[in-house]
Amino acid sequence: MESIVFGIGITALAGALATVAGAAEDTESNIGSQGDPNSQVQLAPQMGYIHRIFNKAVAGEPPAYGLWIALGAGIAWAFMAMQINPILAIVLGCGLATFIQGVYATTAYLGRTASLAKFGQPVYVDILKSVTTVTMAHAFVAIFTTVTMCHLINAALGHPFPLPLLGLIWGIALGAAGSATGNPFYGKERQYQSQKFGAGVPIAASGNIVRYAEAGERNSLDNGWYTAKLGGPASGVCFGLIVFLELWRTVLFEPVAAGWGAIVVGIIMILVFAVIDRYIEVWARKTYGPYTTPEKEASS
Amino acid sequence: MSAIGAKPAGGAGLDTTSALVGIIILIVILGAMYMLGSSVALMALIGVIIGGILIGFGVHFVPVGGAPAAMGQAPGIATGVAMLAAGAGLAGLFGGAWAAEQGLAVAVITGGIGGGLMMAITCFMVNFIYVFGMGIPAASGKVLKDPITGDSQPEFKSQGTEGHGLPFISYVGGVIGGIFGGAGGTLIYIMLLDVYKESLPEMFGAQAAQVLPIAITLAGLFAIGIFLVNAVLAAYNITGTIEGPHDPKFKRFPRDIIASAVASAVCGIVAILLVAM
Repeated sequence: MESIVFGIGITALAGALATVAGAAEDTESNIGSQGDPNSQVQLAPQMGYIHRIFNKAVAGEPPAYGLWIALGAGIAWAFMAMQINPILAIVLGCGLATFIQGVYATTAYLGRTASLAKFGQPVYVDILKSVTTVTMAHAFVAIFTTVTMCHLINAALGHPFPLPLLGLIWGIALGAAGSATGNPFYGKERQYQSQKFGAGVPIAASGNIVRYAEAGERNSLDNGWYTAKLGGPASGVCFGLIVFLELWRTVLFEPVAAGWGAIVVGIIMILVFAVIDRYIEVWARKTYGPYTTPEKEASS
Repeated sequence: MSAIGAKPAGGAGLDTTSALVGIIILIVILGAMYMLGSSVALMALIGVIIGGILIGFGVHFVPVGGAPAAMGQAPGIATGVAMLAAGAGLAGLFGGAWAAEQGLAVAVITGGIGGGLMMAITCFMVNFIYVFGMGIPAASGKVLKDPITGDSQPEFKSQGTEGHGLPFISYVGGVIGGIFGGAGGTLIYIMLLDVYKESLPEMFGAQAAQVLPIAITLAGLFAIGIFLVNAVLAAYNITGTIEGPHDPKFKRFPRDIIASAVASAVCGIVAILLVAM
């Protein structure tokens, strides 16, 4: 009984850490402009729209976070093997991984922005100075929480994979969940804030991103402030649910019926999410209504 | 012409010569494994090939819209094909590896369900953001009616876009893709783990329990590597974005099955001969 309570406690803690990680990851990627919407940041100067948005999407979020979290976990693992206290080892490992992220952000911004020189896009040194450290701070939160979560899974729940391998797996999953959930909000709602609400961005408007703020020119810190209101927390909920439910069904139900208990619970959870998703889809169709009158050919 | 309006350069058909060359390479590799390794190693290689095919096939189900989806210009999830599939499949591998002691069938199914659950949650959150964050209903750009629910799609596409969000068929496709990916990754892991558990104690002259962490680490690393190889191959086959099983691009999967089988065989023989010779 005690082991089950302990397992549920660790599961809850891991889920909470994953929620913070997801929120920090999405906010970091929006401030650094690393997700798919960055295609518009790269495109804008080519269409004649010079801007002050950060630009570091050399790699997608999943491989980038796979690298940083595997690095943080690997260094922490090495420190732990040297008999250093796990908390200190994780902090040191994540700190070093964050510096790698800072190097990545700096070289990516300089390289990508310099490639736009022929379109008249300047490299803003003040942007480099003010934004890089903010992305590093958010990256540290995301890396630290994910590495700590992996350490709990390995040391307290007894997963067979070593810490660096868990870091790689959950780093890629974190980037995948964060970019899937957070990217549309950053791309459509923030970069194209001037477009109509409740409709996709017309393809003809590509590149015409919002470049001015309430006072002066908009920068990536403004974007982080905005997406931290919904895109970030939603990404956190997404990654937190993934980690929590995966661990919960394993810790509680794997001993039932030689492993089949966890499978049945997993199937039930998939069906529950499918029903909720369908409900939301139908609700949106009824509430927002069609954009045009239905075509007879289409409905027949 | 916009990127999403462009016609894909690659056709949907299967090139007979390439397919034959691929099958011959596959037979040669299996023959080489039979000559060089034990029967356990041969069975492991066949398992790795089946796992690779499951991953490659599964990636075709995953609805990925890339950059246009991030602007609500095209349906799907706003990230890369290979990376999203890897995220789901590796989450499945995590669960499958945990259940490895329960036997092959339970572990592979657990891995599949883990991948499916990851995609179920992710696809649900994508629609949540579209509906409640952006006020946009889901609409497919490739079909007039959702093949599962029968909902009509064209009138829910906003002006100047190819569609947006995840219609239910795409949601189901994402979950199926996650299940195949998770199951395939776990199968590769368990097959390689069996070979390493058998060969490594003799190689190092140590007890089985002493080399178990090395065997698990090696099998896990190779499973992730082979997973990424197959996911990227499938992404090349898809060329850009795909809406799910109802997308015309889905019909390209036979090409990928041959490519995945050959690539997994090449990776698998390296991973196995590392210890089996």
